[in-house]
Amino acid sequence: MNPYSKSEQHFFCRRLKPLLDLGATVGIWTYFTLGFVVLFSPLYLAAWITAENRELAFQRLNHKFYRGFFFVARIFIPGHRWQIPDDIRLIRSAVIVCNHLSYLDPLVLISVFERHKTIVKSSFFKVPIFGRMLLLSGYIPSASEGRLSAVMIENMETMKAYLASGGNLFIFPEGTRSRDGSIGSLNKGAFKIARLCRAPVVVLRIYNTDKLFEPGKYLFNACATETIRVEQLARIHPDYQSDTFAVSELMARVRSLLETPGEKTDGVKKS
Amino acid sequence: MTRDKIKSEIIRIFSEQFEIDNPGLDDDLRQVHEFDSIDAIELLREIEILLGSELTRAEKKNAMEIRTINQILDYIEGLAQSRAGGETKTRPA
Repeated sequence: MNPYSKSEQHFFCRRLKPLLDLGATVGIWTYFTLGFVVLFSPLYLAAWITAENRELAFQRLNHKFYRGFFFVARIFIPGHRWQIPDDIRLIRSAVIVCNHLSYLDPLVLISVFERHKTIVKSSFFKVPIFGRMLLLSGYIPSASEGRLSAVMIENMETMKAYLASGGNLFIFPEGTRSRDGSIGSLNKGAFKIARLCRAPVVVLRIYNTDKLFEPGKYLFNACATETIRVEQLARIHPDYQSDTFAVSELMARVRSLLETPGEKTDGVKKS
Repeated sequence: MTRDKIKSEIIRIFSEQFEIDNPGLDDDLRQVHEFDSIDAIELLREIEILLGSELTRAEKKNAMEIRTINQILDYIEGLAQSRAGGETKTRPA
């Protein structure tokens, strides 16, 4: 869906980049705000009132909302491409760990997985409406002090059944975005939950979301030409019953996978 | 169950489950050993097995504020006493 030739894009981007970036950002944010209020809030309200499984209904709506978000992004940023293989869309019942490049990463994974949960910074749960949406979607606070402790307990008690029924839990174990593509230190949380639920661990690598929305910048890059790509590095089935199983070893294995240089594609960093 | 017996069980659980060997009784488990809320939930399951009864949601919520091994021991002793007093009889499945 790119109405412009490469030379036309190059010309526009060289001359008009600040304006194009601003236009893309306004367009995408308009969808994010007005699209939510006008198109999706009635659906969320209907799900809240009528859905038998409210959590699942909210996850499905989030999934659709962010598919729409990236559809709009493709319109305003016509040079970039997407490559998400079917084997990734078919992942079920797993704790998914992924590298973290941009604020877009969680949105990408929500748009890929219809049934999903994730860990969200606790402070977001205090934001009016948005915090309530997070709770209703079954997302998990990163810390469990005060009133959020009950949310954490409830989520952990039901997580095993949730994963067994086909849901996924995705987590960015670095906790923060990488500024140079290198892998930061990993938090143990994802691996502990996998052990708690006796769940397989799927390791994903995401590429180029930082080219679309660069850390430290407020505007989308309307001239991005890279391919947003998600690659499955491994599906690990740890022997949790084994006396020799250790979370630290599982983490080391995942870290080693994430640090392995990725396939060379347009604009993909070799780490 | 004596406090010493509970302590030796907790030390064993910390070593086997959480890869934390010989924690100090007053160490802040979060700060010193990165013991987080997910570990706490796993520990609560072990405590249920130890006590032979399920914990209520309120009892679990109280446990989320615990920071040290001594506080864990106090918590378990309190639970054991309340169960000896006949407040909770349910056994875990």
